[in-house]
Amino acid sequence: MQPPPVATANQAMPSGKMASLTGVPLAWKPAPGDLPRQFASREALDDALASLFPEADAGLSPVRGGRAAAEAQLARIQPARYGKSRNFLDGAITRLSPYIRHGVLTLAEVRDAVFVRTRERASSEKLINELGWRDYWQRLWRQLGDGIWADCEPLKTGHGPERYAAALPADLGAGRTGLACMDGFIAELYATGWLHNHARLWLAAYLVHWRRIRWQVGAAWFLRHLLDGDPASNNLSWQWVASSFSHKPYIFNRANLERYSGGRYCASCALAAAGCPFEASYEELQARLFPAASV
Amino acid sequence: MNSPILWIHGEALGPANPALQAFPGRPAVFVFDETLLSGPGSRPVSRKRIAFLYECLLELPVTLRRGDVAAEVLAFARRHGADGVVTSAAVDPRWARLRAAIAAQLPVQVLEPEPFVCLGEPADLRRFSRYWRLAEPLVWAGFSRFSS
Ligand SMILES: Cc1cc2nc3c(=O)[nH]c(=O)nc-3n(C[C@H](O)[C@H](O)[C@H](O)COP(=O)(O)OP(=O)(O)OC[C@H]3O[C@@H](n4cnc5c(N)ncnc54)[C@H](O)[C@@H]3O)c2cc1C
Repeated sequence: MQPPPVATANQAMPSGKMASLTGVPLAWKPAPGDLPRQFASREALDDALASLFPEADAGLSPVRGGRAAAEAQLARIQPARYGKSRNFLDGAITRLSPYIRHGVLTLAEVRDAVFVRTRERASSEKLINELGWRDYWQRLWRQLGDGIWADCEPLKTGHGPERYAAALPADLGAGRTGLACMDGFIAELYATGWLHNHARLWLAAYLVHWRRIRWQVGAAWFLRHLLDGDPASNNLSWQWVASSFSHKPYIFNRANLERYSGGRYCASCALAAAGCPFEASYEELQARLFPAASV
Repeated sequence: MNSPILWIHGEALGPANPALQAFPGRPAVFVFDETLLSGPGSRPVSRKRIAFLYECLLELPVTLRRGDVAAEVLAFARRHGADGVVTSAAVDPRWARLRAAIAAQLPVQVLEPEPFVCLGEPADLRRFSRYWRLAEPLVWAGFSRFSS
């Protein structure tokens, strides 16, 4: 297989580049009020941001910003393994979303990096298809504008919009629902600003369908924390889960979560033996969550 | 435009930014948008997100400011005696409003980033499957450049 062109660029970076956090020099004079571009270390950046942006919640993500980090991540993509394993929490997903969202890498650059690593089209179709989802949501945002915060279609849950809560309950905000899976996802969201797609789906479905909270509440919560937080991919995915942008609400059950998470949460969950709200067949859950739905 | 400044925004923080490519070395500015910082649902965005943007910005030749975006971009242009502002197209509807506010005082040139796919006709976006039926073959048409 041909080596990716990006790997060469990345190796050419001086090795201290990522640790030092010195901004590239500017060819023009600074002015009063310019924000600093030189930090002794990442900790120093964190300290500086704490005083520059005191209203923002604390903590840095272990995920680093910047082109060097993006290229290193891009050099690791495995399109064929991705296609087979992307639904598993430990699958060969790319973790490129923060870089793509902020244009550090363009979708066109990622597409070409996939092509470089492709021998047969079929083995890379899934990854190209997911890049297509991003492009699709962006096109829809152009069309919807600020309407992206409103229901695209009526909900298909049989519950009127007024039956959904308008605020985030304290136990969810604190990551203390008592469900090992959901609390684990929330802790990861807060610590890293990134979640696997399946974890986003499960957490969103739990919030909207089990807790009956408006999807907009969950979407705003995610946008405050996700490094890839993007009103298009985020809000429209929430609408897809809620059923205002799909034919039926998205739900899951314990067997599904246990399988794709490798059982890692259920193993330590106090509710594993009794009281798990996801322990049921899809038919039972459908009847329990949406008793008035016509589907 | 002979001596523009570049307005860099959060959808194009990489070397493929067409404004940086078309005008290398020109003074460039990024403004942390006070309105976006105050966050959706009136709770501020987390420091994780700000730090991620900051690390991206340190690798670009760009002055960093915080405040009212249009006012800051215009003030930066005045400081550099610029005769216009060059930027790249963004999807966020907020960007279009800011661009209009800047354009009321200085000419703004908008450059298009390289697209993922050119559809060539208005796409039916009601469901992904309809979009993808049109887009997928066009995306894969580009693969022939890579397969020998
Ligand atoms: C409730 C919910 C909220 C979400 N919020 C966001 C968000 O704010 N920003 C965001 O970028 N994605 C969002 N997604 C989509 C998806 O979960 C992430 O893009 C993906 O998990 C990022 O991980 P990755 O880079 O490893 O993706 P991979 O699976 O490796 O995919 C590669 C790239 O394709 C794009 N992509 C993949 N899946 C999707 C998808 N379903 N929709 C749109 N683009 C996709 C991303 O740019 C991603 O980086 C959300 C999904 C859900 C269910």
